[in-house]
Amino acid sequence: MRHLKHINLLGGSSASPKPHECKRTGHPSFPPELLLCKPSDLTSLLQFLLATPPLGTMAGFLSALRRIYLSLYNWTVFVGWFQVLYFAVKALREGGPTTVYDSVERPLQLAQTAAVMEILHGLVGLVRSPVSATLPQIGSRLFLTWGILWSYPETRTHVLVSSLVISWSITEIIRYSFFGMKEALGFAPSWLLWLRYSTFLILYPTGITSEVGLIYIALPYIKASEKYCIRMPNKWNFSFDYYYASILALAIYVPGIPHMYQYMLGQRKKALSKSKTA
Amino acid sequence: MKVTVVSRSGREVIKGGIELHDEATVSDLQEAIHARTKKYYPSRQRLTLPMQAGTQGKPIVLSPNKKLVDYCDGNVKNLTVVFKDLGVQVLYSTLFFWEYLGPLVIFPIFYYFSVYKYLGYEGDRVVYPVQTYAMYCWCLHYFKRIMETFFVHRFSHATSPLSNVFRNCAYYWTFGAYIAYYVNHPLYTPVSDLQMKIGFGFGLICQVSNFYCHILLRNLRSPAGNGGYQIPHGFLFNIVTCANYTTEIYQWLGFNIATQTIAGYVFLVVAALIMTNWALAKHRRLKKLFDGKEGRPRYPRRWVILPPFI
Repeated sequence: MRHLKHINLLGGSSASPKPHECKRTGHPSFPPELLLCKPSDLTSLLQFLLATPPLGTMAGFLSALRRIYLSLYNWTVFVGWFQVLYFAVKALREGGPTTVYDSVERPLQLAQTAAVMEILHGLVGLVRSPVSATLPQIGSRLFLTWGILWSYPETRTHVLVSSLVISWSITEIIRYSFFGMKEALGFAPSWLLWLRYSTFLILYPTGITSEVGLIYIALPYIKASEKYCIRMPNKWNFSFDYYYASILALAIYVPGIPHMYQYMLGQRKKALSKSKTA
Repeated sequence: MKVTVVSRSGREVIKGGIELHDEATVSDLQEAIHARTKKYYPSRQRLTLPMQAGTQGKPIVLSPNKKLVDYCDGNVKNLTVVFKDLGVQVLYSTLFFWEYLGPLVIFPIFYYFSVYKYLGYEGDRVVYPVQTYAMYCWCLHYFKRIMETFFVHRFSHATSPLSNVFRNCAYYWTFGAYIAYYVNHPLYTPVSDLQMKIGFGFGLICQVSNFYCHILLRNLRSPAGNGGYQIPHGFLFNIVTCANYTTEIYQWLGFNIATQTIAGYVFLVVAALIMTNWALAKHRRLKKLFDGKEGRPRYPRRWVILPPFI
């Protein structure tokens, strides 16, 4: 199978060797060597199959399907975050910071939880982003959305909720429209690229301050409640204290923030210099 | 011959290069670099041949035992090597000693001292037999590891970066404390006597097997040829490449069956994942090295680490 060139499932085949034909009937058939292959040659088998005319077009079809799916996904979540921003600004103007959460709760929960799909996308190879980068980000977002704001209503009226949802929604609107355009149109305008890699300079500090602040504010309520706690004794000799876990989460922000910021600065340098030479 | 030593960015690390006699080894070169730079002792140096522009793949690392002429293609009077500083190095035995010392000391602290009073649990605690055996089993394990480090293991690389000390100690010491906390807890719930015996019995058998695997590995390794690699054989190595990891994982399984803590099982899963990663790399390396060509033996079909899964 070594003569087969690499076939990119995401982009169609790059070589089409003649399929083996049965000498008697002339029908396409497996070359005898294939039957002796180890299971590890399954990819070679797949490549062989995809090189045959009927399945080659299927590879192209799958690639188009991937694009349609990702376009739909990105634009749908974009709409969700757009709603969050719209309702947040509306509530700020009409009722003030204490009313923001109630206005944005549904679209916020939907849009943020949908992001879990992105971990799946990375795992199955639908997108190129490493799971290691998306996991901490999604983790902290879900922790705030469900673990703090939804679980402890006492935090919902704090002014930091406004700064939180505005920072998040602007970032996500830019991000999802950027990917949405790339998948649907094949490119994204340079001003959108610039926005995607520059707005974090402000929105990271504001967003993270809001996150850390809200966790800190929730701590007394967490300590007073038994929510999500598992106590000993039990059969599995396990315990979980949500209060200390939250403090641990706060501690992780300390090395986490400089790490993420440095990473984004590096990404910015790469992305913006690449567009200049493109 | 003249050796030019450059950094990966092309800058000359040793001004004017180094003059060595034609039969000099890489080791001689390393000594000479150390003599000129004071800071970069040999184990800190990583010397490679320059990569051809545009080619992919890993650069060829210079092996200390080989002669410099072996790396010259044609021109035996001049050689250019690329230098990388690996950072401060510690002996592997140093690294292992510190990472194993933590668990060895931490577990008995939770067992013997009234740590839990400071964590909010007043009053005396009842100590079950399983908790005592667990402490002995755990300490035996880490004591064995330290002894093996100094008397049994033969390391392929003599040193490891200093940063690994902090990373590895964090891993071992944190998990050690995490498990010790639950096994010695005042509100600990023991399993049935039978389950405890099965767990510790199986664990002990695996610990002894693991020790035997290490002895076998030690006897395999001689400096001659193939970068010190041999096809492992004997005992469980006949059916699984990394039998030492296999016995280690099953030994922890036995410990967990006997002590039954989520913390212990989490540690088991994480350790198994890490070892599986290493095992896959080793298996691949051995298969590549022993490809059956040019008179080399062919690596036999074997499980990698955990029959019947992988």
